[in-house]
Amino acid sequence: MNKDIILSLAEELNFTLSEGEVENIVNEFHSLQDLLSLLETIDTEGVSEMVYPFESPLLTLRDDEVTHELSQSQALSNAHKVKEGYVSVPKVVK
Amino acid sequence: MNVNEAINRLKEIQSTTNACVTIIEHDVKTHEGVLSDVPIALKDNVITKGILTTGGSKLLSNYIPPYNATIVDKIKQAGGVIVAKTTLDELGMGGTGTASFNGPVKNPFDLTRQAGGSSSGSAVVVAAKAVDIAIGSDTGDSVRKPASYVGVVGTKPTYGRISRYGIIPYASSLDHVGYFTSDVRLAALMCDVLSGQDKMDHTSLPYPSTTLAPQLHDDVKGKVYGIFKEVLEAIDHPQTLKNFDAVCKALESKGAIIKTISMNETILRTCLPTYYIIANCEATANHSNLTGVNFGLTQEGEDVETIMTNTRTHGFGPLIRKRFVIGSYGLKDENQDKLFRKAQKVRRVIVNEFNRMLSECDGLIAPATTSTAPLLEGANMNVLSNAHLIAENYMVLANFSGAPSITVPIMPVDGLPHGINLTCKIEDEATMFQLALAIETCVKERL
Repeated sequence: MNKDIILSLAEELNFTLSEGEVENIVNEFHSLQDLLSLLETIDTEGVSEMVYPFESPLLTLRDDEVTHELSQSQALSNAHKVKEGYVSVPKVVK
Repeated sequence: MNVNEAINRLKEIQSTTNACVTIIEHDVKTHEGVLSDVPIALKDNVITKGILTTGGSKLLSNYIPPYNATIVDKIKQAGGVIVAKTTLDELGMGGTGTASFNGPVKNPFDLTRQAGGSSSGSAVVVAAKAVDIAIGSDTGDSVRKPASYVGVVGTKPTYGRISRYGIIPYASSLDHVGYFTSDVRLAALMCDVLSGQDKMDHTSLPYPSTTLAPQLHDDVKGKVYGIFKEVLEAIDHPQTLKNFDAVCKALESKGAIIKTISMNETILRTCLPTYYIIANCEATANHSNLTGVNFGLTQEGEDVETIMTNTRTHGFGPLIRKRFVIGSYGLKDENQDKLFRKAQKVRRVIVNEFNRMLSECDGLIAPATTSTAPLLEGANMNVLSNAHLIAENYMVLANFSGAPSITVPIMPVDGLPHGINLTCKIEDEATMFQLALAIETCVKERL
C-alpha cells in the first residue's frame, strides 16, 4: 500500500483525502498487514466461502406484486433540488 | 418510568453523556399492547418516518425518512412510545462511541470513559435509567460490549430472527438487530415483540414471533454452561476472573454443570482480521448509495460526479473514509482471492469450530471484556496479543455464526460495571434467556 494506491482508491470511492489522512492510512496499513497475515495461518484448501451465517435456505421467491410504494412527493422529499417532479442535477451532456 | 419522566431524564443526562441525537416529545401511543405507554429509545440507524435519522453521519444529518423500519411498526403496535434517537459511531462502524458526527458518548458511571460502541447512546439511556428498553444493532459486538461497559442487559438474537428492513446497514452478512434492557425478563419480552418473519426482509427467518417471556424460568439444574477456556486464559485482570468464578460457583450451587470447553487457538486468533476484511468490504459496497443526489447533505458541484465527491468528502468522517479505502482495497480484483474470499473461507473454518464448541454445552460463557470501559482516548493494547485478538474480540463469533448471544451484568470490576457474555445454539433463544436469567438471579442473590 502506498500513497498512489490510496489516492486512486479514494477517487474510485468518490471522496478526497487530506495529506494527513493518506499518511495515516499508509502507516496503519503496515500494522494491519501483521493482522491480516494471520489469515494465512489457516489452511482453506477445499473450503468454500461463507457468505451468510448459516446455510438455511432463507431466500424465497415472492410473487411479483406491489406490496408498498412511495409517492412521488415522498420519494423526492429528501432531494436537494427538484424540478418538474424529478431530481434535478447539473446538465450531463454538454 | 412513564414517557414524561423518560423525556425529562433524557434531557437531564444529555449535556453530560451526549447519548441522543434527537429527543422526541411528540410521539404518542397508537395501540394497546404489552408495551403500552412504555418509553423506548432507538439507535439512530433505525429508520423512522418523519423523524430525523442520521446514522451518526454528517452526510445524513438532514435525512427525514418517508417510511418506518419494520421494528418501529412492531414497537408501535405493541403500544410503545418512541422518545429518542440515540447516538452511534458513524454508520455503526466503530466500537468506542467516539466517532459520531455529533460528538463522543460518555459513560454515565465515569464521564472520562467510553460507553463502547457502536450502539453507545442506546446503552447509556438504559444505564442512566431514562428508559428500560433501547434498540441497537450488533455487527461485531456493538450491543453486547457496550452492555458490559455500562451494566445493562444486551441481547442479539439469532441472525434473521428480527427484521432488518429499515435499518441502515453496515455489513449485511453480519448485521443483527439487538437491544438493551434493564433485565433479562424484559429482554425475552422484547424478542417476542420484535421477532417474526418479515416479507420486507428476505433474510428474516421463516418463523412467527417467539413466545418466550411467558414460559421463562431460571431453573438450570442439569444445564451445561461451557466456559470458554481461551478467553479466560487471555484475561489477566484478577477481579474480572474472581467475579466470573464466583458466578460459576453460584450457578453450580443451583445444579448447573460447569464444563471447560476449548477452541483451536490459531483459528480463534483469526477472528479479528476475518471480521475486519469482511465487514469493511461489505460496508464499502453497502454505502455506495450515499451520494447526495437523491438524499443526504448535498454539496454543490458542477456535475454529478463532483456533487458526489464533494458530498462524500464533506459528509463522511475520517474513520469511515479509512475503512472504505481498506474495504475497497480488499475488493480489488488482484486482492479479492487473498483477502475478501480468503476471509470468507476462514469464516467457515471459524464457524465450524465454534459450532462444535456449542454442541458440547447448552450455553457458552466468558467475561464479555477483559476489564471495564476504556478511557475516552482509547485503550493501549498490543494488537497481536491474545488479550486483544481473543478476549476483547471473541464475541464476533456470534455474528459469524448467527448464534443468539446476550451480555448480563454481574459484579463490578474496580467499581465500574462489567458483564458476562452467553452464547447458545442457533434459534435457541429459549435456552439463552433461561441460562441468562439464572446468571441474573445469582448476581442479585450475591449483591
